[in-house]
Amino acid sequence: MTILNKIIKLFHSVKDENLKWHLANQGDQAKLNHARVLAEKALEAELKKKSVQLEHDISLLKTKHDAELSMFKTKCRQDVKDYKQYLAALDQLKSSIQASYPHLPEAVAFTIHHHAKYLLNEMWEEEDFEQKMQHEMQLIRFMTTVHEDARLHLEGATIESLPERTLNLIGRE
Amino acid sequence: MFLLVEVLLWLAVPGLPGVLTALATAMLLGGFVALIIAGLWGVGKIIVRAALNYFSAKQRIQRRLWFALAKQDQAKRLFYFKTRQLKYFNELSRKRLLKLNNRKHIRVLSKAIDKELLSIKTKLPGTTYQQLQQDHARYRNRQDIEALLTLQQKISTLV
Repeated sequence: MTILNKIIKLFHSVKDENLKWHLANQGDQAKLNHARVLAEKALEAELKKKSVQLEHDISLLKTKHDAELSMFKTKCRQDVKDYKQYLAALDQLKSSIQASYPHLPEAVAFTIHHHAKYLLNEMWEEEDFEQKMQHEMQLIRFMTTVHEDARLHLEGATIESLPERTLNLIGRE
Repeated sequence: MFLLVEVLLWLAVPGLPGVLTALATAMLLGGFVALIIAGLWGVGKIIVRAALNYFSAKQRIQRRLWFALAKQDQAKRLFYFKTRQLKYFNELSRKRLLKLNNRKHIRVLSKAIDKELLSIKTKLPGTTYQQLQQDHARYRNRQDIEALLTLQQKISTLV
């Protein structure tokens, strides 16, 4: 019986200690709980704010993307139109050289035109701006030379049967 | 307890083993039932806690934030792919224009080659003429500019 009493006593003393500890730390525990609730609320508010901000950002982003896409679409359309005009200009170039040199073989006229088209494509497909400018200069130089040859022959300044300066330029490039 | 029953049986004590066996069986079953109940209780508690946590305000807001982030990411990707698509179709239109232009000029060149070939027909052996004509048709169908120009040069040298 004494052992059982001792065990019961021990049990009670442990409970007493526990109660005392709870009483002593009640304030701290309440504070801790309060702080935890506050932190959770603050986190919730922060997340909510972030979420609302993000929704706003997304709507702005969508508007920006729509505007950029519309601009890009216009640019693409313009690009194709420009390319078409360039091709027409090169066709014109061929007609002009053929008009100036009536006995110019079709193969030579074709080669000149084909080379001009090659330069145009080089320019068009280049991504680097500086390189693109260089290709553009090359194309302009070539077109100027062809027109110059045609003009000189029409004015009778040369007696050559072929546009030699143009052909030399093709050979060099 | 079952061990005690075994000992009592071995000692041949009458009556007690039967009572002890019933008691031990009841205790064992009781233990199992208690264990199962405790397990179910624990699982239930976990489920309820998980459900409460899932529907808590913090988790709901967090999910909404993730959803918005995913939406933002999706919008960015959509823009990128739309731009790529536009670029692709733009390039396709340009290539189509170029192809049409090439075809037009190849047709003119081809006519010139035909004419030239016809003009020297009488000066060439039949097989050579036929071979040149076949080459010409093949290169024209293939839209092979380089080969057509080479053929033209070859015809010029033949004259």
